[in-house]
Amino acid sequence: MKISYNWLKWYVPEVVVANKLADVFTYHLCEVESVETMLDGDTIFDLNILPNRAHDLLSHQGVARELSGQLGIKFQDPTSLYKIPASTPTKLAVDIQTPNCRRYMARIVRGVKIGPSPEWVVKHLASIGQRSINNVVDATNIVLFDCGQPTHAFDAKKLFSEKIVVRQANEDETMTTLDDKHVTLKPTDMVIADESEVLALAGVKGGTNAEVDDEHTTDIVLEVANFDPVSVRKTARRLNILTDAAKRFENDLSPEHCAYAMRELSATILEMCPDAKFEDVVDVYPKPQEPRTLTFSLLDVNKKLGSNLSIGEVEAILHRYGYQFTREPWAGEKGEGITLVVPALRLDLIGPHDMVEEIGRIYGYENIAPVIPTVAHAPKENAQYVQMCAARDRMLADGYSEVMTYAFTKKGGVEVARGAKGKEFLRTNLSDGLKTAYELNRLNAPLLGHDDTKIFEIGSVFPSLDGEEMHIAYADKKGVVESTLEAFTRELPLAPSTHVSESQKNGAKKFTPWSQYPFITRDVAVWVPLGTESTELTTLCKKQGTELLALEPRLFDQFTKGDKTSFAVRLVFQSHAKTLTDDEISPIMNAISSAIKDKGWEAR
Amino acid sequence: METPNKGGTEHPISIIRNQAYEIFAGMGFEIVAGPELENEWYCFDALNMPKDHPSRDMQDTFWIKMSPDEIQKAQSAERSTRPVMRTQVTATTIRSLEKAQKEGRTSAAFISVGKVYRNEATDATHEAQFFQMDGSMIGENVTLAHLKGVLMAFYKKVLGEDSEVEIRPSFFPFVEPGIEIHAKFNGRWLEMGGGGMIHPTVLKNAGYDPEKIQGFAFGVGLDRIPIVKWGITDIRYLYQGDLRLNQF
Repeated sequence: MKISYNWLKWYVPEVVVANKLADVFTYHLCEVESVETMLDGDTIFDLNILPNRAHDLLSHQGVARELSGQLGIKFQDPTSLYKIPASTPTKLAVDIQTPNCRRYMARIVRGVKIGPSPEWVVKHLASIGQRSINNVVDATNIVLFDCGQPTHAFDAKKLFSEKIVVRQANEDETMTTLDDKHVTLKPTDMVIADESEVLALAGVKGGTNAEVDDEHTTDIVLEVANFDPVSVRKTARRLNILTDAAKRFENDLSPEHCAYAMRELSATILEMCPDAKFEDVVDVYPKPQEPRTLTFSLLDVNKKLGSNLSIGEVEAILHRYGYQFTREPWAGEKGEGITLVVPALRLDLIGPHDMVEEIGRIYGYENIAPVIPTVAHAPKENAQYVQMCAARDRMLADGYSEVMTYAFTKKGGVEVARGAKGKEFLRTNLSDGLKTAYELNRLNAPLLGHDDTKIFEIGSVFPSLDGEEMHIAYADKKGVVESTLEAFTRELPLAPSTHVSESQKNGAKKFTPWSQYPFITRDVAVWVPLGTESTELTTLCKKQGTELLALEPRLFDQFTKGDKTSFAVRLVFQSHAKTLTDDEISPIMNAISSAIKDKGWEAR
Repeated sequence: METPNKGGTEHPISIIRNQAYEIFAGMGFEIVAGPELENEWYCFDALNMPKDHPSRDMQDTFWIKMSPDEIQKAQSAERSTRPVMRTQVTATTIRSLEKAQKEGRTSAAFISVGKVYRNEATDATHEAQFFQMDGSMIGENVTLAHLKGVLMAFYKKVLGEDSEVEIRPSFFPFVEPGIEIHAKFNGRWLEMGGGGMIHPTVLKNAGYDPEKIQGFAFGVGLDRIPIVKWGITDIRYLYQGDLRLNQF
């Protein structure tokens, strides 16, 4: 979620400078995806709010409240700043016909003038990448990003009567969403309707039937409601309409938040339309959220974190966050304890383990000293790993190199849903993948510096739903052989259960990427006087070979006749930038030939 | 004269896996393995990831193709048997914890390296299959400080003594507190994986009484290690069967 530093300052005027804030978020709250400094001096943080805090943190107020606790600075409660408009009795009725709606607040506002928003509204929305639409729609968006509660406005005159019905859709009922998507509904979708037709997909998206428009709208109905998260999620997913509102509802919001949001929304509209006439709020809230308390002990915290916090330190953290709490009189085995009143929005705080996390992240995990545990028992060996080590050792010793190939293939016994084309099935054997890999490596053999390609793979195959099995397969010029790992290792000596290669110590080694272009090989055969070292020839070739020489020149043939020895060396050329042709290679080979002549050697 | 291929070369993942196993076995962890073709219970439900919960969005899943009737039948069991390619090796961790509980063990530590699958578009840093390492330790007094200790020991051994490890707040349904693991290598902080203290619901699903037994669990990307340590430029090189990869 995008968070504007200037917007935060409404609530926490004493907050630290923007460039110190990223670390506070990273080490005590959540990942910061990006930090952007704007031309007007604002800083925008893109915070990856964690799913368990989506109840209360997908808003500027939520993040500001968190910072106030984290930094121990004042949180400026905005409630008293909002003007409460005078209101008159209303005839508006709300009828909740589905248990998926937990609260519905609505009010009529008459004499609204739809038009552009005040500058501060446009600026605030723009700072977090939101476009201004008109004053009423903008007011609902300001409330959404300010306090996290989605709200909606309908054109009151477009309603069949002054009655809002919240119900499940009828089979095959249709509606057009505000972005002109025509959707066919199912009884699993919850809708907001009048007595005649559907006005909105509850918690997901408004509809065109009661759309607020710039030219005609004068009277509006404001909606501030709370919906069941699973119901909203299913509808949003099914219709693929993923909105900021749906994202908040599907993470479960507290219905207690509605009252505050209605106050903020009304006050914002009053500021925009000072002559508007507000009617009383209708509030249908069948089962109010129960106040909750939570008890945890100091021992719960220290025993899980491995920390040594005192009760005073824990109390100081709770004070900073503004928790209401009391010290438990009990003591003894569990140490001191605390009972706190769970804030209504903190639906994530259920049991003592939640307070362990709350205290831990606020205290800071960097303050917990690492400890290596002492383990009394010797670990048992794992039979499959022992087999894997034994099989690998044998294959490597016999000159086979290890590869890994893909588990997905184009035919088999088990099919995955939504698999990529040609990779819809799980492999039933290793052999097919290994044959392809063998061919690739055989063609590359000159590049790899050997003539006989030998490869193997150890991996799972899936011939049927319950037939997963660990196999080994190896390929060489005679073909491919495959068996179960178990059968292959039956006759082998079983190695100790961890087998670490020497090469791991080669930590400083760096990966050399390979070229995507074809290579060219050239052989050089030369008569040299008996006693000449072959390295003289390979060094000469390397010197003349230029950077196009892809690997060390390799001696592949030698014999002696009388007082002369014949050496044959293979050169492999490859470019990282293009496909090589004779035009590039001929000059190099000519240079090698003349260097050979200069030595007084004789090319064969 | 043919140039013989003297000893074969090793795949980078195997080198790191063997090294990881050696390090963790040295700290008392038992090596375990589990199926890659998992079921919904062990892959999601047992790990405190309810159906229709946004936390499942964190992973793109390869479900096995089935008719709606077959899916419904599989999910109607007390423990869903709906088949799925595992999205995390944590499925093997919970299987191991459950087994340990049945054997009456009150302390145990497990380490498992294996292949996991995610249905996402592939590029130089994303693959549909990759390796993960999952570890866990339970007992009466296993703490977050212990998790920090073993992770530091591991990354210092595998990446070098001058590397650093940090844990930061995060969220995964199967742990609380939840943490993210970052390692500093060559002056850069890199995200390695996640973990935390095993959630009471997960301990209960394994048969343990969370009032008496507690522990940590973590899951880290194993592919990340050779990629970072040796500078392998494209994760897809790991699964193409190309021997030019085996440089280490």
